[in-house]
Amino acid sequence: MKTWFADIEINEDGSVAECSPCTQDVQQLAERLLVFQKDPKQIPPACFDPVQNAIECGFAAGETEYYSLLQQTCIAATRLKIKNSYSPDLRIIHAVEALDDIDEAANLLAERLGIWYGEHFPEAGMLTENLAKFVAENGLRQDLQQDSQFHETARSSVGMEMDAEDGAIIKAFAADLTSLYERRHVIEAYIHKNMEQLAPNLDEVAGANLGARLISMAGGLQSLSRMPSSTIQVMGANQALFKHLRGKATSPKHGIIFNHPLIKNSHPKIRGKMARALASGLSIASRVDAFSGQLNPAIKEKLDRKVRSIKEGN
Amino acid sequence: MKAKTFHENIFTLQQGKKRFLATRNLSPGFEVYGERLVQVEQAEYRIWEPKRSKLAAMLLKKLTSPFTTTSKVLYLGSATGTTVSHVSDIVHKGVVYAVEFSPRTMRDMLPICEERPNIIPMLADASKPQSYANVVEPVDVIFQDVAQPDQASIALSNVQHFLKPGGYLLMSIKARSVDSTAKPDTVFKQQLKTLLEQENSKLELVKKQKLAPFHIDHLGVVVKKTE
Repeated sequence: MKTWFADIEINEDGSVAECSPCTQDVQQLAERLLVFQKDPKQIPPACFDPVQNAIECGFAAGETEYYSLLQQTCIAATRLKIKNSYSPDLRIIHAVEALDDIDEAANLLAERLGIWYGEHFPEAGMLTENLAKFVAENGLRQDLQQDSQFHETARSSVGMEMDAEDGAIIKAFAADLTSLYERRHVIEAYIHKNMEQLAPNLDEVAGANLGARLISMAGGLQSLSRMPSSTIQVMGANQALFKHLRGKATSPKHGIIFNHPLIKNSHPKIRGKMARALASGLSIASRVDAFSGQLNPAIKEKLDRKVRSIKEGN
Repeated sequence: MKAKTFHENIFTLQQGKKRFLATRNLSPGFEVYGERLVQVEQAEYRIWEPKRSKLAAMLLKKLTSPFTTTSKVLYLGSATGTTVSHVSDIVHKGVVYAVEFSPRTMRDMLPICEERPNIIPMLADASKPQSYANVVEPVDVIFQDVAQPDQASIALSNVQHFLKPGGYLLMSIKARSVDSTAKPDTVFKQQLKTLLEQENSKLELVKKQKLAPFHIDHLGVVVKKTE
């Protein structure tokens, strides 16, 4: 049998019959340890005492040396394993979460800009991204160009006066917000591109945004592919689901997948059926992505057929 | 403050009417997770918060401590190593084998292992004891805090492989992780049944105690392996 420090044969009475200890090279020992962890076949019996055997075997001079080597080896092995544990879908997960964070921050700042600039030029009548761009480019209303469509309205505005100092501050604030929106577009494009490569089927069935969100919520493509379709169907409706499981409510029909146009744009009466069909399509798509990675158009076709039959049935 | 022995190498510190659980710091000057360090008569103690540690809660709820200064411990579900660090304080002449499944939390625990010579980290699945059987030696105590639906059978398979006769298993059963809809008492009963009513398991229940108010819907269990 194999231990982390040696290949060892034991007699029936527990004494060592044969032993070839490894060298004390921590990196080699760590790699050896990981091999056994993956494929634990020749494991020692329950009563086997590795410490005494390692000393008898000549691997270590005493207990102190044994434990010190063991710790170094285990730390090295753990480091290696952590390093190899990152999967490519982690990038998508972080990107999706960054997108959510940006949305939250941008909404907050956009609201502030709306109120702030609204005091000065309420007639501009723009919101969020448009307003941010407008302010970043033009600044205060007295700075508007002659040919601007707002030139006339600006002259008769009821808003309060602001001086150049106010203008500089608010312009810079709007510029920051604009760059945040720009960053959002870049990240979105990045997700689209990566979803096509990482999960082409999920991308086709769910769309890049929803697909990425599903991966992020499941904690990875692998975990998503292991989920039953009923879980995918209600993922994101946790509160409603647990209320239902406690017997206090009807079961939720859809969670995050509600954002899919198939469900969002359907009549409420058939949303439950749609959600079930879509979830099963998503779960098949994620499985094909996780285990083969090849685009299979049959999945989308099958879902489309199902969707047609649901629509015709009603 | 005054230090009193609570169990072997586990202390309580008295400050006015307040009483804190604490362990003597194995690496003086270093705190592990932002806990308070207190100097009492040339020794440095680390305050051990029962709300953050199931084990601390178990001790304060009068479940016996099986740890001695030389204990060999198998710790399943070490997470970021907050409780592990206290166990490492207690068994300062022994060893703690700390098993954790998540690479992300293990990443946070590694610096603690490097600081303390008696923690052996293992990034492995506690439900597959064979995967670390060529490293871990027979141990005196198994502590388990894994919050998994099959907690009891995970504990059982580790006990069968690693626990010495006469050794103890301490575990905290989290009812909500086993079944989020069943009544906690039903879950506890069912988990204990899996654990104890196994043929030839040679396990006997020493004590069980709910961990409220420190942890809600948790049951602390101490089990001894006979023979």
